[in-house]
Amino acid sequence: MAGVTEADFLLAQRGATQELGAWVVAAIFDRAGVLGFALADGTVQIGDKAVTAHDGAILSACADARGGFLTGSDDGRLVHTAPDGTVTQIQKFGSKWVDHVAAHDSGVRAASVGKVAHVLDAAGAVTKSLTHPSSVGGLAFDAKGKRLAASHYGGASLWFVAAKEDKPRLLEWKGSHHAIAFSPDGTHVVTAMQETALHGWRLADGQHMRMSGYPGKTHSIAFSSRGRWLATSGAESVVLWPFFGGGPMGKAPTELAGGDEVLCSAVAFHPQHEVVAAGFGDGLVLMAEVASGKVVPACPPRGSAITSLAWNATGTRLAFGTEAGFAGFVDLSKR
Amino acid sequence: MADAATTGPVPVTVLTGYLGAGKTTLLNRILSENHGRKFAVVINEFGELGVDNDLVVDADEEVFEMNNGCICCTVRGDLIRIIGGLMKRKGKFDGIIVETTGLADPAPVAQTFFADEDVKRATRLDAIVTVVDAKHLFARLDDSKEAQEQIAFADIIVLNKMDLVTAEEADAVERRIRGINPYAEIRRATKSDVPIEAVIGRDAFNLERILERDPEFLSGEDDHTHDDAVMSMSFEVSRPLDPEKFNAWISELLQKKGQDLLRTKGILAYANDDRRFAFQAVHMIADGDYIGNWKDGDPRRSKIVFIGRDLNRPQLRRGFEACQVPA
Repeated sequence: MAGVTEADFLLAQRGATQELGAWVVAAIFDRAGVLGFALADGTVQIGDKAVTAHDGAILSACADARGGFLTGSDDGRLVHTAPDGTVTQIQKFGSKWVDHVAAHDSGVRAASVGKVAHVLDAAGAVTKSLTHPSSVGGLAFDAKGKRLAASHYGGASLWFVAAKEDKPRLLEWKGSHHAIAFSPDGTHVVTAMQETALHGWRLADGQHMRMSGYPGKTHSIAFSSRGRWLATSGAESVVLWPFFGGGPMGKAPTELAGGDEVLCSAVAFHPQHEVVAAGFGDGLVLMAEVASGKVVPACPPRGSAITSLAWNATGTRLAFGTEAGFAGFVDLSKR
Repeated sequence: MADAATTGPVPVTVLTGYLGAGKTTLLNRILSENHGRKFAVVINEFGELGVDNDLVVDADEEVFEMNNGCICCTVRGDLIRIIGGLMKRKGKFDGIIVETTGLADPAPVAQTFFADEDVKRATRLDAIVTVVDAKHLFARLDDSKEAQEQIAFADIIVLNKMDLVTAEEADAVERRIRGINPYAEIRRATKSDVPIEAVIGRDAFNLERILERDPEFLSGEDDHTHDDAVMSMSFEVSRPLDPEKFNAWISELLQKKGQDLLRTKGILAYANDDRRFAFQAVHMIADGDYIGNWKDGDPRRSKIVFIGRDLNRPQLRRGFEACQVPA
């Protein structure tokens, strides 16, 4: 793979980095493209501003529905942080941890607290509290914001956000499921499991998809913009499953950027192109073009694992963060 | 201390004990003692703690089967989630204490620390501490499978409420405990008054410390044995072992009998090897490694201990003996 000099080039010429001193839970571009880093010390770092959003660790974070950042914490609170640093508590759920959050630009948000996934409206009021058979392992809205998927032990539950009667469609598969994603066209749901494998369901007919062979646990999964590929962490390369031509059933995955014997820890697909960004256990960040397999390094390894990667909506900026609190971005726009 | 915590795996103490045995009292004692250490505490009955602590986590025990074809391979899903969250704050505390509910089987808790790779990377199981009510233990053992398991799994047993029993009763209780688990260290206490060093920082799951303590087989056989009672058996052989034979035997044994075998520990002398091999298992989940050379002059004898139910002594002995190289 690329040497350090080359690996440093993009970051040095067209990037910026920060030492934030705490585990980066998520790198996030908000709906207007403002970059924020949600940290395990309860801070949301926006540019040079360190905004104290929580009295505890941020456990999960995402771009909020209408701009700014949405964070859940072990302080039991769900909080909105605006790009100007204004902090607003949306809800407080007692002493329980707010484990997972999700939001859609239609205004709907979701936050899971133990077994319950709360659905909130744009004003922050809880409209539904959906109970699952065990603690929720991950939350995802579909591309239209109409359905919410929650993973848990024994599978995943699909809920209609606007349903009058809350009855989930249960997608069953034995084992414990955490990270979860909808395909962009809403036809498939995929989860990452405790047992170093992925599981998927084709919603039209309930067809199961088993994707296994990982040496490590998969924490990060991402579909390409048109849903042709699913990129996954958990192997010593970026493992991409084809969701076309009858796949992924019976198809071998494509592996990119392997060879360093370091586990991939985070993935993020470019919002338009079939280019995937991947972070590794040693801190390396790279971009790989799926068709050609061509790899461009974005950040050289610094020892601490990449925890999060994010593209802005136009795909001109890629942001990353590490366990040790090193964070940054590279600017890929035409000059 | 916090510096050490940022580099190495975080030690985890598991605190078990039947309802009313004095677990919460011990926990309060550990947290309130002025020792300069900071603990993250995972509890199940919120509100009972008498000490303010930033890092008290209220957990709902969720026991999961690992989807790997092994029915006894259960883990605490909530613990995987909580430890994942706590690790993001690594360096802010020196250790984790997990209190189980009184009726809990300790196996899923213990297995979580061997079966989940993220938990395994970030933490190490320090010791399983079981608090026992000296006055009521006999009754508990007769009517509760969990009470037996809590003793079987323990590295340290706090024999509590000593003020409520006579010296003879205390000895009888200790004999009964020894019948189940001869390797645990027993600490007699009143109102859970044991020094914190007795329960924290014990490193009992370190392979290098396995069978370091000689068992305390007290005189007098356990006269209480019935079919489903937990018991222990240990075997020793003098000829070196053939590693392949041993691996084949122990793998098959754990596979077939893992559900009944609560804990297994061994120190092994392999043929043509100057290093000691240490081995341990919790049900079917096994862990083993070389732990340095045999000392000059020390007899190189292999030793294995089983704690479990329905153990067939002659069969286990023959199996272990057959792992030796031919005489």
